[in-house]
Amino acid sequence: MFTRDRLTETAWIVIGLGRVLNWLFLLGVLLLLVLSWLFAESLISFLSNSNPGVDAASEATGLRLEMLIGILAAIATGRLLAALRDVLATARAGDPFVAANAGRLQAMGWALLALQLLDIPASLLGRFVPSLGSAAPNGDISLGGWMAVLLLFVLSRVFAAGAVMRDDLEGTV
Amino acid sequence: MPIKVTLDEVLERRGLSLTQLAQAVDITLANLSILKTGKAKAMRFSTLEAICTVLNCQPGEILSFDPTDERV
Repeated sequence: MFTRDRLTETAWIVIGLGRVLNWLFLLGVLLLLVLSWLFAESLISFLSNSNPGVDAASEATGLRLEMLIGILAAIATGRLLAALRDVLATARAGDPFVAANAGRLQAMGWALLALQLLDIPASLLGRFVPSLGSAAPNGDISLGGWMAVLLLFVLSRVFAAGAVMRDDLEGTV
Repeated sequence: MPIKVTLDEVLERRGLSLTQLAQAVDITLANLSILKTGKAKAMRFSTLEAICTVLNCQPGEILSFDPTDERV
């Protein structure tokens, strides 16, 4: 029991830390995106100077699109972590088999699906904006990620059925 | 719910209290109270058997069906 409590508490701290870092990342990228418009000329001039061989305007557009993908990914990650924290909160309270957790697992499934789908524009960005070079996002398709999406949707159904069964059992004498 | 629990009447006829029945059938007083007040969603055959054995009655004496009562 001690091990399980320690695991739950550690996960609680890790998720909390992850949420803070995700928020900082989101705010940072959002700020960079705004600055990239406000100081567009300076950015293009900086990119031209640092790498004279590439099309700086195209690279700047690519970077902005990359930041947009990053913002969308941070939003999806935020939703995933928030739902995970709520599920963990019910586990900490000793009552995780509730109908609300089925909805939370489904929300996590949708958030993870969004993250998986963001791999597609990320991959296309690297391919169609070669001027990004090593700054291009890694848009490799993750088989594990897709399996996790499937797993979350299945678990959501299992939790929904389990919550109904538990509800029935609670009223059984 | 159209199913009514009429445990009270049988208990009164037998001169038993709910506490005494709970001790005799080895079911918690809280669960018997849920059953008596009609808040139970389901009843196990084993519970029905234990109550009928102790009260020496038929299931129909503690359960009745009223199709006009549609309340959940």
